[in-house]
Amino acid sequence: MRRSKRFEVLESRPVNQDGLVQEWPEVGLIAMNSPNDPVPGIRIQDGKIVELDGKPAEEFDMIDQFIADYAIDVSAAEKVMAMDSLEIARMLVDINYPREEIIKLTRGMTPAKIVDVVSHLNVVEMMMALQKMRARKTPSNQCHVTNLQDNPVLLAADAAEAAARGFDEMETTVAVVRYAPLNALSILVGSQTGRGGVITQCAIEEATELMLGMKGLTSYAETVSVYGTEQVFVDGDDTPWSKAFLASAYASRGLKMRFTSGTGSEVQMGYAEGKSMLYLETRCIMITKGAGVQGLQNGSISCIGIPGAVPSGIRAVLAENLITTMLDLEVASGNDQTFSHSDIRRTARMLMQMLPGTDFIFSGYSAVPNYDNMFAGSNFDCEDFDDYLLLQRDLMVDGGLRPVKEDEIIAVRNKAARALQAVFKELGLPLISDEEVEAATYAHGSKDIVKRNVVEDLKAAEELMKSKITGIDVVKALAKNNFNDVAENLLNLLKQRVSGDYLHTSAIFDKSFNVLSAVNNPNDYRGPGTGYRLSKDRWEEIKNIERALSPEKLGV
Amino acid sequence: MADLNNIDIESLVKEVLKSVLNNRDAGDRSGIGVADYPLGKKMPGLIKTPTGKSLDDITLSSVMEGKIGSDDVRITAETLNLQAQIAEQVSRPQFARNLRRAAELTVIPDQRVLEIYNALRPYRSTKDELLAIADELEDKYQAKINAAMVRQAAEVYEKRNRLRK
Repeated sequence: MRRSKRFEVLESRPVNQDGLVQEWPEVGLIAMNSPNDPVPGIRIQDGKIVELDGKPAEEFDMIDQFIADYAIDVSAAEKVMAMDSLEIARMLVDINYPREEIIKLTRGMTPAKIVDVVSHLNVVEMMMALQKMRARKTPSNQCHVTNLQDNPVLLAADAAEAAARGFDEMETTVAVVRYAPLNALSILVGSQTGRGGVITQCAIEEATELMLGMKGLTSYAETVSVYGTEQVFVDGDDTPWSKAFLASAYASRGLKMRFTSGTGSEVQMGYAEGKSMLYLETRCIMITKGAGVQGLQNGSISCIGIPGAVPSGIRAVLAENLITTMLDLEVASGNDQTFSHSDIRRTARMLMQMLPGTDFIFSGYSAVPNYDNMFAGSNFDCEDFDDYLLLQRDLMVDGGLRPVKEDEIIAVRNKAARALQAVFKELGLPLISDEEVEAATYAHGSKDIVKRNVVEDLKAAEELMKSKITGIDVVKALAKNNFNDVAENLLNLLKQRVSGDYLHTSAIFDKSFNVLSAVNNPNDYRGPGTGYRLSKDRWEEIKNIERALSPEKLGV
Repeated sequence: MADLNNIDIESLVKEVLKSVLNNRDAGDRSGIGVADYPLGKKMPGLIKTPTGKSLDDITLSSVMEGKIGSDDVRITAETLNLQAQIAEQVSRPQFARNLRRAAELTVIPDQRVLEIYNALRPYRSTKDELLAIADELEDKYQAKINAAMVRQAAEVYEKRNRLRK
């Protein structure tokens, strides 16, 4: 066949490198409403659920059991299960039904019922509902800070920059597993240099992650995965009971935590039982609710390629964020993995969360270049900072970031690198040279830095993990070396675990360590003129992109 | 009817509420609510470290003098129970229950907490081992809610074949 030049041009477009697949319900390759999804239903006897979505109690797997025992309020169930799903869907987008009224209903719903309700919504309606249903009034954002070499100096500098740019939460992980304690330490020092009150985590195997928190090197956790079928849950080396215990273990040490799940994980791990991705994800959200965890990271997360490949998949990803908020949980709403070769697709996918606002629009905006992102890349990278800032300005939307000046960023990166240099020296970790500090200050990524002796670093990391060194020793090291402001910030952060205020739903801190959560900053959206609105100061900040022309600049 | 008018309705309601809150959990203080949140700023007097220090005692100078160590930046069971009361008031019963389980775990050493978590993972424990952990939680640490959850896990793991062979 003679080729059409038009088709050849289209073929070469980035979007055509994206993988697509037709719906294939038997293996779970279907976003929503699989023919194998159960029909909503509940039977209650003597206050106990004896049948859930058509399955009798004798046939319950672990997940059914956990949901039936802990996630559904039986006193609310019969009434809401008898209601028309379409009517509830309409209440979700109706400004006359406040968030609290919806939550009184959702607490009695089964997984299949919830899916049935959101299936009636198109994406604009889902965004309207999300705007009303997110728990915290003020939206926020989280970033990734990692690099290919696990270079601590660069981690500290990047963390400081990310904090100065406005991220309220920061997540690192490792290229080499044994580096974990050093990575946690580096972003801890960097973040508190950039802006006091930013909370940090290190994503790693569950027990190690908890240990880092106990040592005071992290202040929250998120990589605590749950799954929607029993087999995948067990393959993930946990059960709802072990995960619920882990959740309490974190709280017992005064540490905030959330679970992680996402559409597509069960297909990827081969046991979707022919159910739709959204139905299985709804089970995950309900496990989170039942375990008493305050929030959830979802929005497909590391499996985004799977819903991204099927029809209505990105709608299902928005739906899972929405369901999380409908169950009164904090949502850290994904956008944290490379999703498409197409800038248009990745932006459109992101707007679903940015426009309505969520507790964390990204659960990992990459504050580093793609090649340094050890979470396999994010949907937006540091190269996209200016695009993102302009989207905020164009649409008058708060995406959580602020325009910054080059000299401000150079200064804060340098200070963080020097602060970490001092901490390494005081704690007897392999020394950081002035050349390393200088290179990290001006670096874009790990291609621009001075390499370290990895063998020595890893040995030190292992010793640090075994030692009795805690966050308090880091505070001392900073103060001894005249980094008193950073030391104060870090001490203040450690102090937060004594009062436990930030354990509550959707908690973050401002720069004065005031906690902002769904308890004292609840979302009160009731239509135009209510809910979160940009303050005058915040709008001034977003508006003022430095390179914009002004009469003064034009000499008028 | 006339008598009723003489009763101070407001204080009556307050008294009733107080007794309801007291009865909810004998270990809790009464009257803590959403208006008291965040406790660290609004009710700092209620917060103590496990070592008996107050939030104001935690300063940079006291750290530098060696008066504050890592044991002083931990949460207590009492504080977690107060936070659980707030969670209940904002209608988050499951979250409140998690905080109450956490309150029970505050007295268990870090290492033992990690071991119990690992023992609850699939195929790690026999039923007897799980039941022994439940007894330990209940008898040694008075962790009744956690013990009940571990006992339920033992039952469910047995039914679903997830115990160690």
